[in-house]
Amino acid sequence: MAVLIQSILSGVLIGGVYALIGIGLTLIFGVMRVINFAQGELVMVGMYVTFFLFKGFGMDPFLSVVLTMPALFLLGALLQRTLINKVLDALPQNQILLTIGIGLVLSNLAMMLFTSDYRILSTSYSSSSVALGSIRLSTPLLYCFLITAVITAALYWFLVKTDVGHAVRATAQDRDAAQLMGVNVRNMGVLAFGMGAALAGAAGALVAPTYYIYPQVGGAFTLKAFVVVVLGGMGSIVGATLGGVLIGTAESVSASYLGSGWKDLCVYAIFLLVLLLKPSGLLGKSRM
Amino acid sequence: MKATLLAWGLPLVALLFLPLWITSPYALHIFILLFIAIATGESWNVIGGFAGQYSVGHAAFYGLGAYGAFILLQDRHVAPWFGVWVAVAIAAAVALAIGSITFRLRGPYFVLASIAVAEIIRLAALNWKDLTNGAEGILASDLPPLQLGNRLITDWNSKIPYYYMGLAMAVFSIGVNFAVKKTKLGYYLQAIREDQDAAHSLGIPLTVTKNIALVISAACTALAGSFAAFYIGFIEPQQVFGLDVSVQMVLVAIIGGIGTVSGPLIGGVVLVLLSES
Repeated sequence: MAVLIQSILSGVLIGGVYALIGIGLTLIFGVMRVINFAQGELVMVGMYVTFFLFKGFGMDPFLSVVLTMPALFLLGALLQRTLINKVLDALPQNQILLTIGIGLVLSNLAMMLFTSDYRILSTSYSSSSVALGSIRLSTPLLYCFLITAVITAALYWFLVKTDVGHAVRATAQDRDAAQLMGVNVRNMGVLAFGMGAALAGAAGALVAPTYYIYPQVGGAFTLKAFVVVVLGGMGSIVGATLGGVLIGTAESVSASYLGSGWKDLCVYAIFLLVLLLKPSGLLGKSRM
Repeated sequence: MKATLLAWGLPLVALLFLPLWITSPYALHIFILLFIAIATGESWNVIGGFAGQYSVGHAAFYGLGAYGAFILLQDRHVAPWFGVWVAVAIAAAVALAIGSITFRLRGPYFVLASIAVAEIIRLAALNWKDLTNGAEGILASDLPPLQLGNRLITDWNSKIPYYYMGLAMAVFSIGVNFAVKKTKLGYYLQAIREDQDAAHSLGIPLTVTKNIALVISAACTALAGSFAAFYIGFIEPQQVFGLDVSVQMVLVAIIGGIGTVSGPLIGGVVLVLLSES
């Protein structure tokens, strides 16, 4: 029983990060109808930024979120202004090709600049844990989850309470109608891509103390973000949050009971089942 | 018609005689890579180009072809030129199963489902160690020499037999594309690509048509995959089932122009020359 509770709790903690990456992806898809295949590579960039802030200035990885997020926001906004904006009305395969290309360029740039060595960011508390009765939770994962919760809450507040947030959601609902109401949809696209990239960067900073850092690490995150987003329903932010937590839990529970080699297989099997039984996702409206 | 025949026939004749002049193994290697790229791009084109179903999970079939033939050789001692066809049949059967499930989805959902299926098969190959030897991969040791009757045709020690087999495979995949394009199936597929609902209301059976195209595409991909595996002589899950394998096929077709027979050919030339020079 303790093993089950332990795995569920660890799953929820890591699921928060998946949710963060997924929310970024769903925000970009919602506002621009572009599936960003480079989302995981943005996470990778966030991990490297955090790593070098730690190595160069001794900055705590969790503290460096405040620098990683703006940096990635700028990178995302730049990508949107120079590249993504050109293909908004293009065929879906061209959009997919472009974002795959951006991902390839980012990971190969990282390989050129930092070599393909695996790097480890170890802090003083990397391997420590907090005990709750017979259950132990890893300290970095716990911090990571708390910061994720704060960022997600701030994002909800921004989208629901502020005027700019309303404009972003209006653009996601109906691009033309939003434009007619005087929303500058072009800027909303830049904002959405920037925020999506910033969330990916935050996720990168938060997992940097627990993951290996190497140029190809992004691919796994991209796939996981797709699973999370489709599970929750494309374009739904609450759905992506729920999807992230569910996937994290499924992963951690299947790793405890079936062995860690099979955990990703279980995740994709769940993904396929959801796609087949409820393609619009758990909380999504049908866009089929 | 005459001009088309000439345009395709002349380069083919030139390629047939090329190994007489070019003997450098590196040049032959580039050509073999080119044939593999063309064969996979053309195979993908059947379902991705003509039918507009952007599968980004074709590595599943590529890898099944490679692993099927390798496992038959290592465990059952079936010679590759028989084993390959068994592997192709397995890939076609798996394609039918995958297609029946995933073709209910459209657009981005189909893309994501195809990726998920390929990842599931990759992870299964990684973890089913008794059958696949896991991440250590399989090394093709001593390929039996190819004999016709009692006459030795080749013992696979030079690149020339691979060159001709690769050429035959590329020509075959181009032929398949021509055949699909000129038959009723091709018109059905293009109708589905242009407007799925309109095609359906005209009485085109959507799922059956897409499944036929996928099975053809998967069988050709598996053939290319097992050829590539025997040429390289070693396989491991990431190398044949990885997402980049799927992306490579899609790139070859899209760069050259999807839904055309010559597109993947041009895409293959561009991509192989770019990455090898």
